[in-house]
Parts: sequence; structure tokens; C-alpha cells
Amino acid sequence: MKCMKRLFLTIGALGLMTGCASTQVATTTGSPAALENADPRTMTFPPLTFRIPRSERVQLKNGMVVYLLQDHELPIVNLTAYLNAGSIYDPADKVGIASLTGASLRSGGTKATSPDKMDRELEFMASSLESSIGADHANVSLATLTRNLDRTLALFAELMTRPAFDQARVELARMQAIEAIRRQNDDPKAIASRELSRAIYPDHPLSRIPTLASVRAITRDDMIAFQERYFYPANTILAVSGDFDREKLLKNLETLFAGWPNRAASFPAVPEPKEDASAAVLHVQKEVNQSVIRMGHLGIDKSNPDLHAIKVMDYILGGGFTSRLTQEIRSNQGLAYNVDSYFDPGRRFKGPFMAETETKSESTVKAATLLRSIIAGMTLAEVSEKELKLAKDSIINSFIFGFARSDAVVNQQARLEFYGYPAGYLENYRDNIARVTRADVLRVARKYLHPDAMKLVVVGDEKKFDAPLSVFGSVREITLDQVK
Amino acid sequence: MKILSRFIVILALSFSAATAFGQGLADRVQEYTLENGMKLLMVPRHTSPTVAAWIRFKVGSVDERSDERGLAHLLEHMLFKGTKTLGTRDFAAEKPLLDQIEATAQQLMAEQLKRDQADGKELARLHKELDRLEKEAEKYVVKDEFADLYSRNGGAGYNAFTSKDGTTYLINLPSNKMELWAAIESDRMRNAVLREFYTEMKVVKEERRRSYDAEPEGKLWESFIADAFNAHPNGQPTIGWMSDIENLTRTKAERFLHKYYAPNNAIMAIVGDIDPQQTIALVEKYFGAIPPGTPVPPVAVEEPPQSGEKRTEVIGDAEPELMIGFHKPTLPAPDDYVFDVIDMLLTNGRTSRLYKKLVQEKQLATSVSAFAAPGSRYPNLFIINATPRAPHTVSEVESAIYQELERLKTEPMTQKELQQILNQLEFQESSQMASNGGLARNLTEYEAVAGSWRYLIEHRQKVASITPADVMRVAKQYFTRENRSVGFITKK
Repeated sequence: MKCMKRLFLTIGALGLMTGCASTQVATTTGSPAALENADPRTMTFPPLTFRIPRSERVQLKNGMVVYLLQDHELPIVNLTAYLNAGSIYDPADKVGIASLTGASLRSGGTKATSPDKMDRELEFMASSLESSIGADHANVSLATLTRNLDRTLALFAELMTRPAFDQARVELARMQAIEAIRRQNDDPKAIASRELSRAIYPDHPLSRIPTLASVRAITRDDMIAFQERYFYPANTILAVSGDFDREKLLKNLETLFAGWPNRAASFPAVPEPKEDASAAVLHVQKEVNQSVIRMGHLGIDKSNPDLHAIKVMDYILGGGFTSRLTQEIRSNQGLAYNVDSYFDPGRRFKGPFMAETETKSESTVKAATLLRSIIAGMTLAEVSEKELKLAKDSIINSFIFGFARSDAVVNQQARLEFYGYPAGYLENYRDNIARVTRADVLRVARKYLHPDAMKLVVVGDEKKFDAPLSVFGSVREITLDQVK
Repeated sequence: MKILSRFIVILALSFSAATAFGQGLADRVQEYTLENGMKLLMVPRHTSPTVAAWIRFKVGSVDERSDERGLAHLLEHMLFKGTKTLGTRDFAAEKPLLDQIEATAQQLMAEQLKRDQADGKELARLHKELDRLEKEAEKYVVKDEFADLYSRNGGAGYNAFTSKDGTTYLINLPSNKMELWAAIESDRMRNAVLREFYTEMKVVKEERRRSYDAEPEGKLWESFIADAFNAHPNGQPTIGWMSDIENLTRTKAERFLHKYYAPNNAIMAIVGDIDPQQTIALVEKYFGAIPPGTPVPPVAVEEPPQSGEKRTEVIGDAEPELMIGFHKPTLPAPDDYVFDVIDMLLTNGRTSRLYKKLVQEKQLATSVSAFAAPGSRYPNLFIINATPRAPHTVSEVESAIYQELERLKTEPMTQKELQQILNQLEFQESSQMASNGGLARNLTEYEAVAGSWRYLIEHRQKVASITPADVMRVAKQYFTRENRSVGFITKK
């Protein structure tokens, strides 16, 4: 029962609240404390002791870097390899080679262990070994019960150093990729995100997508060459966590990767994404009762000096239940279930700023207008002291959740080195957030948000819109290719 | 002989490991029941100064009457809106407005239900009046104050979800903030105020459009499940049909709330950097005085045996997708464990039978999976989901699946297959404990649907005793045409 607050706020409530008030005491410091429940608005807490957990960094003789964090609570071990490789390096006529190589690497077995044998052996042990290659990194990872670590690690090393790219498994991966291309227009949300990315990164490797022709042009030899080019010790960082013995693990890694040759680094040049101040309105026709709305423009990279002020601004504008976007578009107006916005600080290139929502066809233009005007509102006036404090408190106080699991800790530290984050990034993070002022938030909003230069993508049934999309400017219609 | 003895060794090893895990979890979970019936499960883990706190109410969409469909889910949203003290500037001044809103909204619904005979002018007047009252009431609202308080105190992952079986509220907090959790959650349990009800209804309609109407796979799922059940509420969509949502009222929601959202229907799991004795004292202090509500009565209706195949076609703007379901008993029935084995035999990993046959050998599908759904408190379905690969059709994939199901009836599972499954379960037991939230989820889920979290400990031992004959018997009994429902997307 927490009626005291009411009494402070309005004496008029007293008559209605006497039953409550008699059981409530204003503060909880006096006795008998056991019977008093504190007010969440004014509650105070004991201090929290927290120190950023550190993993150990070791370099093997061959140059491979290993991050280690032992945790013996559970009898399992997780290991992830990070390699600099990715679809940003795909040749224009073979778009899809990185992701296809990533899929075929694990499924194609090794020169010593056939794909079938590898599948059987791993699954019997309940070990997993998987590979994937994304836009700017390749991962090969394993998870295993401690008792099967030695064998699983040996298979991991075989896969890293001597993959076989079994022809049948390569073809299987290719057919799966072709089916995925056939299905790429099934989900309106996926269409909208893809088209926004293409609009923000025109003709850039970050927005290119595989086609039937490019996937068919990729050969097994291409994959072998791709793997050989990027997989070598000096291009690899490992993150290992869990129930392992440090000395034994390092000894095993030295032995397993002893003969793995290094290569000269050779990464294709990738152009910086172009700054483009022009607005665009794109529409994709789909006969659905809800429109998907996406808008955005080129944003920032991780080294941006205003990163922390932008994080605070992001939180106030589009992060979580308390954001301006959610409060107005969802909570006040009931126009959407999902609405948010964020800067994705690019790790190698500038990442995008994106805002998104979905609303019934009949409120499409209303919601898109509101979204844009709330974004623009950030550039017009300073945020309130209350908004600033909430954002900063939330970011600072929830910081510890990045370190709640040992596998998360060790992977985070490996990624900091892999992407070349500045020294002290984590250690200084909370202080940097704490320094952000209302003036900073307005300054970065004006500098980095460009509400008049956004690419707007709407996927929906234009016959049912509340107004034509042309209210936002000249509309370019995107026709979805039917892939046979 | 050699091979045989190797397996005996492995089996012995894994049994002892199972016991070790069981004892590990059994030792670490501390149970406490309050006098008002609320169950508290705690696991102290000091990996980081964080705590996951989950509250599960044992009331879900199967517990709705036909005029309440969608209510458990809408109520889940509404319980974010505050209490008599939180989320409001002045509840005494706000309350009369909330009552006027309710009366007006009910009049509006009644008029709308006259359909063609509805009075247009009256509808317009009521809409306008409702808008005016909502704007007026808005003045008293402190927006999303629960979320605000949790956020500023470092709460992460604040959310809730509703299923056929129950409703769960979850949050992760720094471990020094547990009193905040106790204060907010006890207030929510006792003093919830369903303000902004008719605006939130619009949000839920958008959620429905987003997840089901405009999402081809969501639409298939909803239609397939609804068609599979003639009588049991397991078939009705948790979110409700659009017209169900439109006709829910705050009055109905409050009736549901006050009956069931009470300590005797609640299970809490608190996992992380805690001291159990202090946690018990905290929970007693904040929740101990909350009176119990009505126990959730069992759903009486039983799904009549199906007497022929049911087929559900969804014609849509998407490539084909296939679901095949068979009615089956739910946990902890002995046959349910056999289905767990069948599930893993058929679809768990690259060596599983359906993956090998459909994806690798015949290349009819790009993926195949199996699971039990849509709920676990009442008999449910064993469902196989496959994505056909062009130019292969739904019916080709379907036939290939049936061939494998026939094989299960006649070819005994090998000892090695069973051992692989036990090894996989052993790994899962450990990996589910890797996060505080994962463990809290499993503890609340199984305490609620299986009657005890100890299901987690006993599951692998039960599976270990399943014989090849059990698998053949269950396959013969359940994988029949009569017992089958098939759902698929046909591209427009």
C-alpha cells in the first residue's frame, strides 16, 4: 500500500484514501521498518560493487591472438574465432561468395574428416561446430561439454586449417542460397529494411545482395581461394570461455595450429560510403493491412568523438518504452506496436541512422509524418533535464549487463581488438556518458540527424493509405522481381 | 563385444553425470512458499552482480471464456500502465474520468454491434466523447512509470509475454536494486489500474496486424492451430481475432485480473547474485500481505478424437511453407517423453532423419524442424514444419515426411541414436544455466506446466528409460491420417 505519495500530491484525495493512509508511513528509515514498504519513486539503494571482468590475452607462436576466461561453474566450453573477411570484399560479379563460403566451410568437412563423419562425430558428442561469414567478419565457433573438448578442438583446428569444401555440400549450400533469394520478398519488413539499406548505401558493398546469377557464378575453387586468402593465424583472434584448463588449452592450440602458415595480408579496397544529402521516397506495393515504414540516412562510425552524446540522444529519441517515439506513436496515439530509432555505429564504415514502425494502412502517412517530426524535434530544442537524467542513469546503471556471462565478456574483449576500438573504450564508457549535457544532445542532434535528407521506404497497400506518399516528395516505385 | 562394452561405459558415464547435474540443480534451487500460496524459487549465482526476476501467473489464454478471447494478452499490456500510486499524478481525480471512459466505450461498442442498424450520428458523438475523455484523463498520467523506474535503475530486458498457459513478467536488475523490484511488482499485483485501456487496444490491434495479418507465416500458424482444435481453447489465438480484441472492455479485464492475478496463482524465480534468506524476507515484506485470489479452474472441455485429416490452406503473397500436426498428450504423460525422443530423432541436427532425407539426400526442403505446441497444460500437437525448395511442392515434401514417419513404426531406434539424444540433453541441461534469465524461464515454466521445476532434473532419466519398442508403439498410435492436421501456404 503506497498511499502516502497521494497525500503529498493532493489533499483532495484524503477522503478517499484514509483507509490506505493509516497503514502507510512516509519513510522507511525508522522502526518498525519490517512493516513498511518503500516508495519506488524515492527509494535508495546500497552501493553496488562492480569491476569490469578481464580476460587474459595470449599470443601464440604463430601470431594468433587468444582471449581466455575460465569459468568452472558449468561443464561446458565455448570458443569463437574472429577473422577479418566478409561480404564487403565480395567481387561485384560474385556477390554472395562470403556467405556461401561461410556456410560451406563447416558443412563441407575437412581433408581428414568427411562431412558425414564430422556431423556424426560432433552430434554424438553433443558438440557443435559452426561457421559463418557476415559483412565484416568471419566466425568459426564451437560449444562442447568439457569432457569432449580435446576432440572438438581438434576438429575445429582441422576446419580452420584444412577444410575440404566437399562438392556435394557446396551444391547444397548453393541451392539453399537460391531458395533464400526466391523467398526474399515474402516478408514486408525484410523488404523494407533491404530497400532502405540500398537507398542509404547505393552501389556500395554494404547493401549489395546476392542474385541468382552471382550465386550460380561462384565455384568451389572460388571458395577454396577465398578461404586461403583470409584464413591464417595473424588474421585470427580466438575467444575462449568456460570450463577449461589454461595450460592444457594453450598447449593444445600451439600444437594444433603449429604448422598453419601465415600469409601476406591482402584485403580488397572498399570505398567509403558516399554522403548524400538528398531525400527520397520509395514505395513497394504489397496487399497487406499494415504498412512497414522505414526511414534513415548515413550515420556515424565507432570512432566518432560524439559517440556518447549520440548514445544519449538515441535513448531519448528511440530507445525503449520511455522514448519519445514510443510514448507518442505507441502509447499516446496507439498507432503502432513497434516503433524505434537508432544510430548503428559502424565498425569499419559509417553505419546508418534508422527509424522504423509499422501501422495500419489507413494511418500510414500520419505515422510517417509523426515519426519524422519527432526526429526533427530533437534538433529544435534541448531535451529536458528529466529526459537527460533518465537516459544517462539507464545507460550507466545497465552497463553491467554486458558482463553477466563469461562468454559475453571474452567475446566482447576479443571484438574490441578485432575492430580496433580505442584503448579504454569500456573503462571510460560510463564516465563519458556521465559527461553528456543537454547542450551536447542538441548539438549532436543538429549535426547528425537530417530529417530533411532521409530516405523513406514504405511497403504497403497504397490504395488504402490516408494520403498519397507524394506528400513527402516525388515517389519512386520499386517493383519486386519475381524470381522463378 | 568391444563396441557393446564401449556403449555400456558411455551410458554409465552419462548417468552419473545426469545425477551430478540433477543434484547440482537440486542443491542450488531453494523453494519457499508464502502463506498466501505464492511460490518462490531461488538460485544464488555470483558470476556478476545481477539478478533475473521472473513472475509467472498460471493463467493464460486457455482460461478465457469465448467473449474474453485475447483478454489475457491485452491484460498483460495493461499491467504496464501503473497502479493507484504509480503512473498517475492523482488517482482520486483520475478515477471518475476512467469510469466515464468505460461507460462511453461500452455504449460505443453496443452501438457498433448494431452493425447496419447503428446510428451514425450517435457513433460519431460517442467517438468524439471518448476522445475528449481520454485526452482529459491523459493529464493525470505519468507515462510508463514502471519502465521509467526500472530503466533509471539499470533494469534490462523489462518485458512480459502471454501464452496459452500463462503470463510472465520479467526483468534483469543490478543486484542492489531488488527492493525496487519487490515494491513495483507487489504494487502491480495488488493495485493495478488499467488506464489508457482503449488506446492500448489499438496497440494490440497493430501487434496483431504485424505478427499475423501481414506476416504470411504468422497467418498460416494461426489458421493451422485454429483448425486443428474443434473444441479446446488451445486452438484460439492468444492475441484474439480482430473482432475479439475490439470488443474487450476494461470491466471484463478487471474481472479477470481480480480473480486470477493473485499470489496463489503466481510463481517467482529469482536467479543471480542474491542471498536467499534476505530474498525471502524481502518477498515476505512486500508480497506477504497480498490476499490470495481464486485458483484457476481447470479447462473442462476435451478435444474430441479427430476422425479424419484436416487440411488448412492459406493463399498468400509468399512462397510455400508446410506444417503437419498430430494430436498428442502433454507432459508429464509418459508418451510425451517418447515424443521428445522422436522430435530429436527426426530433426535435431544434420544427422537427424528428416534433415538427412529431405534436406541432404532428396533436397526437397531447405529446412525442417519439430516441436510441441501450442501450449503445454493441455493435450497439444506434435508439429513438423518444413520449407519446400523449388521446384519441389508441398505435397512432395509431405510424402517424404510420411515415409520417414512410417519408418519409425517399423525400424527400431538404435542404441546409438538414444545415446546421442541423452548426450544432447546433457549439454542442454548445462547450457540452459548459462544465463540467469534462461534458468529463471525454465524454473517458472516447468513449475507452472509440469507442476514442479524438478521436471528439469528428472527429464533425462525418464528419456533414458525409453525403449525402441516405445518409439514404434507411439509412432503407430499417433502418426495416423485420422489424427493429422496439415497446413500450408499456396502462393497467390
